[in-house]
Amino acid sequence: MPIVALLDASLTVWRGKDVLQFIDGLSTNRVAELSKGQLMRTVFTDSNAKIIDCLTLFHMGDFIVAAGHLPVLDKLLNHTSKKILGQDVEITDISQRNDLFIEFDCENKVNEIGTFSSQGEITRGNIASNYSILVASKGNGPTNCDDFTEFNQWRIANKIPWNGYEITSSFHPFACGLEELVHHQKGCYIGQEILARMRSRGRQGKILSQVETITCDSSNITTKGEKISLAIIRA
Amino acid sequence: MDCGTCDTADPVQMVKPEVINVNLTISEMAKNMLSDAFGDDRSHALLVGVLSGGCSGYMYDLQIVETTDQDCQELSIDGFRVLVPNASSHLLDGIEIDYVEKLMGGGFKINNPNADASCGCGESFS
Repeated sequence: MPIVALLDASLTVWRGKDVLQFIDGLSTNRVAELSKGQLMRTVFTDSNAKIIDCLTLFHMGDFIVAAGHLPVLDKLLNHTSKKILGQDVEITDISQRNDLFIEFDCENKVNEIGTFSSQGEITRGNIASNYSILVASKGNGPTNCDDFTEFNQWRIANKIPWNGYEITSSFHPFACGLEELVHHQKGCYIGQEILARMRSRGRQGKILSQVETITCDSSNITTKGEKISLAIIRA
Repeated sequence: MDCGTCDTADPVQMVKPEVINVNLTISEMAKNMLSDAFGDDRSHALLVGVLSGGCSGYMYDLQIVETTDQDCQELSIDGFRVLVPNASSHLLDGIEIDYVEKLMGGGFKINNPNADASCGCGESFS
């Protein structure tokens, strides 16, 4: 299966007895239900429901490991640290100790999606049926990686949004194709009122779409392909 | 994966807000409700805390407790023991604890001069 290195990924460890509740109270997915050995993605949003970061959480038993986007790590930490108050939550940045990769165009079994397993130095988390995230201690990951352009072509064909392309602070989760990460029955979190209103009124504004590169307004294109591109445009 | 647990990676330095000596007031209506709740037993205290979460980022946490393991400052207001966690003291200085009757039943309400905004249901603030 093709593999690409994620050179702009962050990796943090979140410890403390209040961690799950803490993340649950600040992000879109029902994180409080996550249990050991499971993996879940969730989106931290601001008061305008715009994305701060989309994290992939690994429940390791005693702590949570979160893979995110390195360019926005400071913003995420600034956002979350003010909210810790007296809660038992401690965050450690282990980005420099690990390398992250995506294995794509694979065929994960249905019962393996949302789980992870470790083999040697590599932890493999099955995000969806057709791609997984690999986390390896520094220098111990796969060596023959593919070109990121190939990954982007695959993303375009499968309409997969990605950090820094579609998943940015310019958009809310519905606009960039992260609807499945917004749990519609969980309680309040920052940005929830806006997302709930959009959902209940059926008005999302812009949505992630596959477009013809030539005919689409280039300012709307988020991932450019030769013939087909990804764009966030009015529904 | 190297989780940094073996040779303990340093935790990220978090913003630790300054601890403030809190002043707060309790409205007459709230005092009446607290008197009903406490009865003659004044060994218990009203813990007024803040948790993260809610639509606006912070949620009030009111509890009647005997003791707490949180690092708190203790106030005595009209005979009531009030505990305020130091970690959230910067968010609670100057608040008024009120009690309001509503169609769907009454409840305590915090009037907070530090809040820039609150959510529709009034449970959280920022």
